Amino acid sequence: MALSVRHNERSERLDAHGGTRAFEPFFRANYRAVVRLAQGVVGDSQRAQDVAQEVFLAAYRRFPGDYEQAGGWVRVAAVHTGLNVLRGERRRDRRQLRVNAVTPLPTPEDTVIEREARADVRRVLGRLPRRSAAVLVMRHGGMSYVEIAEALGVKVGHVGTLLRRAETALRKEMDRETHF
Amino acid sequence: MRHISEGVLRRLDDEPLAVPDRVADHVAHCERCRARRAEIAHDTERAAQLFSAPQLVPDVDVAWALLERELRSHGAGEPDRPRPPVRVRPRRAPLPRVSLRAGLAIGTVGAVIVGTAAAATFSNVFAPTHVAPVSVSRSDMRAIAALAGLSSSQQFGGFTTPNGSSTLRFGTLTWSSSGNVRPASSQAQAAAAAGFPVTLPAHLPPGVGAVQQFTVQPRVTASVTFDSTATGLASSSVTVDAGPAVIAEYGGTNGVNAPTLGIAAMPRPTARSAGATMDQIEAFLLRQPGLPPQLAEEIRLLGDPKTTLPVPVPPGASERSVQIAGRPGVLLTDSSNTASAVIWEDGAGMLRAVLGILDAHDVLNVAGQLG
Repeated sequence: MALSVRHNERSERLDAHGGTRAFEPFFRANYRAVVRLAQGVVGDSQRAQDVAQEVFLAAYRRFPGDYEQAGGWVRVAAVHTGLNVLRGERRRDRRQLRVNAVTPLPTPEDTVIEREARADVRRVLGRLPRRSAAVLVMRHGGMSYVEIAEALGVKVGHVGTLLRRAETALRKEMDRETHF
Repeated sequence: MRHISEGVLRRLDDEPLAVPDRVADHVAHCERCRARRAEIAHDTERAAQLFSAPQLVPDVDVAWALLERELRSHGAGEPDRPRPPVRVRPRRAPLPRVSLRAGLAIGTVGAVIVGTAAAATFSNVFAPTHVAPVSVSRSDMRAIAALAGLSSSQQFGGFTTPNGSSTLRFGTLTWSSSGNVRPASSQAQAAAAAGFPVTLPAHLPPGVGAVQQFTVQPRVTASVTFDSTATGLASSSVTVDAGPAVIAEYGGTNGVNAPTLGIAAMPRPTARSAGATMDQIEAFLLRQPGLPPQLAEEIRLLGDPKTTLPVPVPPGASERSVQIAGRPGVLLTDSSNTASAVIWEDGAGMLRAVLGILDAHDVLNVAGQLG
């Protein structure tokens, strides 16, 4: 009896997996958050969407039919994949998936100077220790301290310390960037 | 009340309800903490500004259509299992000068030894079920050696004799084992000598030939006994049991004799303390002069010291957290991605490592088959 139940559960999981039906709601619920985090790392919205596609492809294969635990995973993967892109650690996939996106017109605040500053941030993120870069992107991408602690495998009480250290390093590196 | 740490001050602005009331009370009455809080808030605001790009509004329908097409065209309905490698690629040259076995010693035995020296924060029973990276620079290594009084060979290469002792700055290190590292002629013989099954991958990456050699490291027991110079810890001890370990070393194809791939397995190491508590040992070690503050902080941030094994990340290597069959692992790659290693605890009590003159993809593929 128990065996039969397990067999049926497995069959259902495989059916769902093969048909992508179960994956679609998960994708729709998490896609924007993943793109936002990826954009926090790579800056460019098109590249952020490429990263998101890569992350969801990997999630589909990694969590066949059961996406309960996958929400946190895709967020962490978005940050790390973005950092890999920044640091050129990985050969870029030849696939270039371009997704039409609606980007609001630049606001008056989005000055040339600020755009340049954001380009500097990408260079600095590529130089910071990976964990510092990750914690910056996660926090400023909207993740809570508890979520960050789970993602990085540290105690929640240490997230503030990591974040503080990362923001200090960011300030110093940005000052260096603008002085050269 | 002591002043508030920067980490807590940082959280106070983000998640004030998660911070105890006494923190806010202290800050309200402490000029120094108020000034530090303002400085932190300034950095936070600047970071927030730098990360506030114009908000992207992606078209989810289009994105889903593209992904679905990709999934169908790649037959991605198959579960995530390692596939036989199909890429053909010439061997890379030159090979690193360090021998594969030495590399594995760094990855496994070294992890245990450095873990003992740097993070003798082991509590009454240490039995790691997770691995976590710790960045270790050359100066950190020198500092650890100086701190403990270890010679460089003991730091990374394990022990040079089956039994022995050594005087540390704050006590005595003794170790014993049933003999030297010895070769085994077959997978079965290695398994018999080690006392556990030896698992090997069914599919090998291109360029990797047959197993050249099996090596068995007998079980080692090492103890640090603190002496009277260790204030408050006199006569306390930490004992680590590690091994036995089996290392399978693969050669190359087309007559290449240099080792290309190594696979190591050992029961997860365990440690126990007698006398002092974890807090006392941790406090003692972390206040030792000469311990780099950054390293001490990394050790503190590892998570639960009872279940987390620190994996030293050598200078020049990059580390990444990975999942091997659902278990957390640490992937190390050199800067040119020509040599990689992954270490993880398999959930069944075994610590496993795969190291190769291979890129990260191939090493992970092999690891996934052992999961």
